Amino acid sequence: MSYIDTIKKLPQVMTPGSSACQGCGGELITRRVMQLAGNNSVFAVPPGCMAGAGVDGWSYQNGCTAPIHITLLDNTASFLSGVSEMYQRKGRGDVNIVAIAGDGATADCGFQSLSGAAERGAKMLYVCYDNEGYMNTGFQRSSTTSLGSRTSTTPAGSAINGKEQNAKYLPLIMSMHNIEYCATASPSHMMDMVGKIKRGLECSKRGFAYLHIFSPCPTGWSFRPDESIDVARRAVRSNIFPLWECERGRYYLSFDNREPITVREFVKSIGKFASLGEAELNALQASTDSRWALIKRLCER
Amino acid sequence: MSEVKALTGNKCAALGAALCRPDLSAAYPITPQSSVVEQLADMVYSGELDARMVQVESEHSAMSVVQGAAAAGGRVFTATSAQGLALMFEPYFRMSTLRLPMVMAIATREMTSPETIWSGQQDAMSVREAGWIQCFCETNQEILDMILQGYMLTEDPRVLIPVNVCYDGFYSSHLVERVEIPSQAEADAFLPPYSLPAKLDPRTPQALDPMTPGELLMKYRRDHLESMRAALAVIDEVDAKFAAAFGRSYGGCVESYRMEGADLAIVTLGSACGAARDLVDELRAAGVRLGLVKLRFTRPFPAERVKEALAGVKGFAVVDRSVSFGWDAGPMYVETCAALGESLAGKAHFSAIGGLGGADISMAHLRETALRLAGLAAPGRAETLWLMD
Repeated sequence: MSYIDTIKKLPQVMTPGSSACQGCGGELITRRVMQLAGNNSVFAVPPGCMAGAGVDGWSYQNGCTAPIHITLLDNTASFLSGVSEMYQRKGRGDVNIVAIAGDGATADCGFQSLSGAAERGAKMLYVCYDNEGYMNTGFQRSSTTSLGSRTSTTPAGSAINGKEQNAKYLPLIMSMHNIEYCATASPSHMMDMVGKIKRGLECSKRGFAYLHIFSPCPTGWSFRPDESIDVARRAVRSNIFPLWECERGRYYLSFDNREPITVREFVKSIGKFASLGEAELNALQASTDSRWALIKRLCER
Repeated sequence: MSEVKALTGNKCAALGAALCRPDLSAAYPITPQSSVVEQLADMVYSGELDARMVQVESEHSAMSVVQGAAAAGGRVFTATSAQGLALMFEPYFRMSTLRLPMVMAIATREMTSPETIWSGQQDAMSVREAGWIQCFCETNQEILDMILQGYMLTEDPRVLIPVNVCYDGFYSSHLVERVEIPSQAEADAFLPPYSLPAKLDPRTPQALDPMTPGELLMKYRRDHLESMRAALAVIDEVDAKFAAAFGRSYGGCVESYRMEGADLAIVTLGSACGAARDLVDELRAAGVRLGLVKLRFTRPFPAERVKEALAGVKGFAVVDRSVSFGWDAGPMYVETCAALGESLAGKAHFSAIGGLGGADISMAHLRETALRLAGLAAPGRAETLWLMD
């Protein structure tokens, strides 16, 4: 079955209506992950955009057709490792144990519990939709916010212009935990993303699987909602967000970007980068290039 | 057949937990609790105990892992102390408010700062508004017994509130006493297998804890408070069932020792009750009509039982091993006064604070407390007594 048929035929698990913003990358990712995991799953979605959009349920309404819990912002992986242990104990390892969390709940305050669960090889699929900030609370800076980005806590000021530090590159850190499966994905490359979600679910039966998915945010980043997929594609094509996977220590390039576009082409039309000057763009290009070089070397045979 | 051994309090907590056949325990080591985790690990790794053991990277994750396992329908256990309890506060509060049953041992320890690793009840006392049931043990036998009773209590459909079994760090956790260990068959006959449904199960899909509006949240809080109140009677029932099974009764929420005809009472909790009993015997022999009221449960606070126990006394002192910042007193003194309400009038009373940061509460301290109480002429609150030197 092609990935398009897969998406067409599998029933939706997430409710048809949600209050996510138009053009939300996170919602698209959450829908695909939930659909591919199916109803024989236990989901954990901590506070963040997807919880805010109602996937955990809101007032008296359900947000999905499968069991789901809004974990604490910082305990998604540890909570789910308890759920997972119980399902192993019950002899029901067929149940998919799946986290869908933003970058704050993953790379910042949730990182300790994530790292602990990964190190222990807890059997689950952990998906991070990385929209590079605390978007649900109004786009504050997170550790995955990119260099130079304007956020509500790193404004474009005349003294300091946007975020002064490079983004923490979490997927590589996760792959160094010796986990079953680790991959990056982007909603602009849907066939690749669907394949990685499926592979992640398979690998979660043997150990810890981690997916880091680029999640464009029109509201926070200031671009037109209909440009979301294009922004995601430009992130991949500019090597801002390289696509790769790592299975039991072996790295594979998913998209060999032979003719990359420049970072300048990536940032055009994205408001959060509007005030970047030459020096900052050059710095962002340099850090992008060095990361790409590192990924390429890791993937060399 | 039960077996008699000389055991530390921590070993009793671990053996008690193991006898309850937990599905999973997750814990992080901290002084003075560490040997609880080690004992459980020994039992799991030797195959003696069929349970999952998750060696987490922090207490925050310890409570989170057991929370997940409990939500998935398991009987779970953990143990901690002081800074560990403080670190796990976020999922700790949520465990009780999700109404997930479990038992957690607390080998109580003073809170930093100043830097300390020694005994004190400030840790458990500081979280007494987090919705858990809390009991305090005097002896190592009581620790083991209360773990068994704790599971029966927490899993009772009228309760469904997690239970802390607290005991004094080092004084109880590390000192050795004679303990009767029930056999597995005896424990099984007392405590039925876990039978509560899993909250997170694809066969019965539901959202656990969706965003909840205020009017519904208030209903949940009221239910929680009502179950706390209902637990008072269940605690006594469980105590009676335990007595029928093992021949040991602790008196439920409160134990009165030589309170018949007492004019004066010392109210205290935990291991200090041992010395307090000896002091009561000593002073009774000398003609002082002193008794002991042992607070066994602090949450729910057994207000009626405390009021009854102190009904006939002219004066009482509450000996706390922790402080209530802002009241210039120990927390159980404040709560005992609140429980007495109007019947407080006419009694002389004061708060005595001792045993912080591992300091001893000695016979001399308790004698000083009782004699000061005996010498108080006027009713009302006397100044707080610090049991130092």
